[in-house]
Parts: sequence; C-alpha cells; structure tokens
Amino acid sequence: MIKFEQVSKTYPGGQQALRKVDFHIEPGEMAFLTGHSGAGKSTLLKLISIMERPTVGKVLINGHDLSNIQRKQIAYIRRDIGMIFQSHQLLMDKTVFDNVALPLVIEGYSHKEIAKRVHAALEMVGLRDKIKNSPMMLSGGEQQRVGIARAVVNKPPLLLADEPTGNLDPKLSMEIIRLFEDFNQAGVSVFIATHDLGLIARMKYRTLTLKQGQMITDGLDEEFQTDDLYV
Amino acid sequence: MSILFKGRVQGAQIAQISAAQRIVMFFVSHVRQALGSLGELWRSRTSSFMTIGVLGLSITLPSTLYVMVKNAEQVSSGWEQASQISLFLKEDASKSDVDQLLKRIQLWPEVDTIEFISADKALDEFKQLSGFGDAITYLDENPLPNVVLVTPTSRHAGPTAARLLLEKLKGEREVDIGKLDIEWLERLHGLLNVVKELVTVIALLLFLAVVLIIGNTIRLNILSKKDEILVMKLVGATDAFIQRPFMYTGFWYGFLGGVLAWFAVTILLWWMSSSIKTVSALYQKNFDITGLNFSTFMLMLAVSIFLGLSGSLLSVRRHVREIEPK
Repeated sequence: MIKFEQVSKTYPGGQQALRKVDFHIEPGEMAFLTGHSGAGKSTLLKLISIMERPTVGKVLINGHDLSNIQRKQIAYIRRDIGMIFQSHQLLMDKTVFDNVALPLVIEGYSHKEIAKRVHAALEMVGLRDKIKNSPMMLSGGEQQRVGIARAVVNKPPLLLADEPTGNLDPKLSMEIIRLFEDFNQAGVSVFIATHDLGLIARMKYRTLTLKQGQMITDGLDEEFQTDDLYV
Repeated sequence: MSILFKGRVQGAQIAQISAAQRIVMFFVSHVRQALGSLGELWRSRTSSFMTIGVLGLSITLPSTLYVMVKNAEQVSSGWEQASQISLFLKEDASKSDVDQLLKRIQLWPEVDTIEFISADKALDEFKQLSGFGDAITYLDENPLPNVVLVTPTSRHAGPTAARLLLEKLKGEREVDIGKLDIEWLERLHGLLNVVKELVTVIALLLFLAVVLIIGNTIRLNILSKKDEILVMKLVGATDAFIQRPFMYTGFWYGFLGGVLAWFAVTILLWWMSSSIKTVSALYQKNFDITGLNFSTFMLMLAVSIFLGLSGSLLSVRRHVREIEPK
C-alpha cells in the first residue's frame, strides 16, 4: 500500500530530515511510526500526502510512483487518503455536520448522499448527537473524533494519522486507537505516527522507528521501545 | 475516478445519476456558491459596501461624462442641420445675371431654400443694426455686395457635403466669394473629440485602479480565510473549487457596483438637469438631457462585472495557489 524506496529528504537550508528510508506497508495492514520529535515522522507523512517531495528516492502508493503525480492531481490523491491531525484542523466557525461533510461537498456528492454518509460516519465515532454543535463546544477527544469522521466519510482505502492521541489521556487515546482498529478490520490500511510508546506497547502491531531521519527498527521488537529511545 | 486506486469511484460518480441530472447539479452548485458569496458579503457589509462604493463611483464619473458628451454631440448635430452658405456676388453682375443665378440654383437637388439679400437691403439692415446710422450716408457708394443665403437640404447639410456644395456654388460665374459658416462647428467637434478622449483616458485609469483595488480586497479575503483554505486543500479540494467563491465575490462586487453607478448617474443628471435647462433657455433652445437608456445601463453593468471578475482573477490565481499545507 505504502512503499518507500531509499527515500531521503533534505530541506532547503541543509537540514536532513530523512536518510535512505526503506519500508513497505501491505494493503490492509495497520502500523505505527514512532520516534523522537524531530526524528522525521512528520516529514515522512508529508511525503505520503504530497505536502513535500522527496529529494532522493521513490514513494509509491498502491504501486503508483508519486513523483509522476503533477501538482494539479494532488487534490485527487488526497481524496484517497484520510488524514487525521494532532491539531484536528477543524473549521471552528462551522458545525460538526459541515466539517464532516466537507470532503463530500468538494467531491460533488448530492445533498441526500452527503446527509446519509455524514450521519453514518458520526455514528461510527459515536457523535451522532453532536451533529449540530460547533466543534468549539466539544472536548479534545470529541474534536479528534470529528476529525476522524471527516477522514473516513468518503471511505478512503488509506488512513494516515499524525499524533492523533497527542493531547488525550490514556483512556481516550485507547478509544481512538480502537476506532482505528475498527476501520482496519473493515479493510482500510492504517498508518499512525505517534510518540506515545505506552500506547504502542499495549498492542501488537508493526512499529517503524525513526531516529535522526533513519529507520532504526521495523517490526515487533519491543526492547527499543523502552530502552533505546527514552533513556 | 481515482488515480491511485483503480476501480475506486470518487465523488458523484458513485451515485448513478444521468448526465442531464449532473448538469443540473453543476448549475445548482454554482448557484449555491454564488448565493453563499452574496451571504458572505452581507456578513461583512461595511467593508463590502466600501469596495462596492469605490467601484460604483469609479464607474459613475466616466459614465456621467459620457452622457454629457453624447448630449453635446446631439445638440451640435441639431445645429449642423441649420448650416447656411453665404454667397457674395461679384459687383459687376447685372440684375438679370443675378436673377438667372437664383433660378438656376433653386433647381439644384442639394438646395432647400435660397434667400436673396440685395446690396441696398443689406445696407439698410446694417444702418439699423450697427448703430453707425448717419455715418453710412456719407459713403459715396454702397460697399456691400449682393448676398445669396443658401440652405442645403438636410441630406447635404453635413460638414463634408456642405463643403462640396460650397465648391460647386463657387464655380458659378456670378459668385465672388462663398462662405460656409461651420468652422466654429468644426472647432466644437474638435473640442468634443478631445473631451471624448479625455473621458476615455480617465475611464481607463479609473478602471485600472478599480481592478487593483478589487484584487487587493480579494487578496485580503483570501488571507483571512487561510485556515479554511488549508483544511480544504488537505481534504482534497482543487484550486478551482477554492477559487470559485472568491470569483463570485468579485462578480457581486461588479454587479452591485454597476447598479450603484446607475443610481449615482441618474441622481447626478437629475440634479444637473435644472441648471442645464437654464443654460438652454438662455440659448432659446428647447433641450432635454437624455439620461441612461437600457442598453447603456447594460453596458455599464457589463463593464462593472468585467472589472470585478478581472480584479478577483488577478489575485485568486496567485494567492490560492500560494496557500499550501506545510
């Protein structure tokens, strides 16, 4: 589903964010990406959503080389990727319904279809009763779930999450992760960047670890999680 | 259709709707965005009204000048019709020669009426009107020539046609000098042309200023919605989709500015009509100023909308493109 081949990214100014990163996430897989802040997690996600382009190497999604995607096509690529952000990126002056409906409005769904799908998505994240509220009136966990509803409302085959549990307590974080598991069960590939190691430790998922832009572990090795990173 | 995932349908394709329905949906969504932009203008009405005011008044000035020039042209074309040719006859032309000449000219198709003023009659008139009175009696002989006033038919009253007629009349044996009294008219025309060009230049400068002002206003609109645009881009909105509401904002600025300009011009003309009436009464001319007719109004509206759209196009392209999620 996501494949990196010898990817390096150097920002203008010489800061090297990624060095020869290689990995492959299979379709339908759920995986975590971890590492210190500044290790290159965000850069890696940005390369997948084409907010940045790699300096060297290839990024492929479903076998398609993203370097062949022109600027005009990026919008269409993003419709295939559900993205979830630590800062939610919700529109605070719109209702929950409008926020979740946004991707469908952009894609030109009919009014009826939009209402149906938004209700279904909010049902999944358990916010059916908050549909007319403003995101401002919701708690942090609820706001994050609105963001998730928006990411999945057009049923993308791939979900990317950047620190989705960043500001949440462990219980709420677990709820969010359970949601991702549900989507994964339904066949969606899920790729989550987080530095919440406690959360990862409680689950047996493939974990990719970045350190100073290099991929240092890939797999279910648990030792690094406690020893190597946070000493 | 998705680029990355073969077989995955995106958007409206999933709903099995006919092409006709899709076209209807296209217009429905456009109307919705247009009304949305109008609502947006209403929510920030103070600043919107200022922009619309700038646009409207910038169009009012050239429009009013245009109406004035058009009216002046109309008035002067009315005068043109009355242009007369004065023929001063040779002194040695005998009475019968003159009679012959009058008869001949009268038959020309270009000539409407002729009036013969004999030298004696002219001297009498001069005595009465000039105030020299008795002084003239001391003259040995009448220094004035016989004069024929020729009024061309309306078809030959225009400056060039009248000039041709003049040349033809000058060719007559009895005629000494011919004079076409339209030089002042030509001067007036020249002046009007200068004014017209001035109006065009002023209009172009104002229009350019309007485009820049609207461009800047839309730029500020875009920047104030930066967060929203970022989110829209993150969830897959194309630049065209994001640009559309701003284009509609430009459209509404233009439309409302055009309507405002029409009101302003109408009020201005109404205000000035009484003073214009006084002037035309002094010249003993019955003259009503022609205001804006429907087609002029439509032209104003079209220009105004064009300015609004080009202003927004100017900034929308660049600034929507510039905002990219980082």
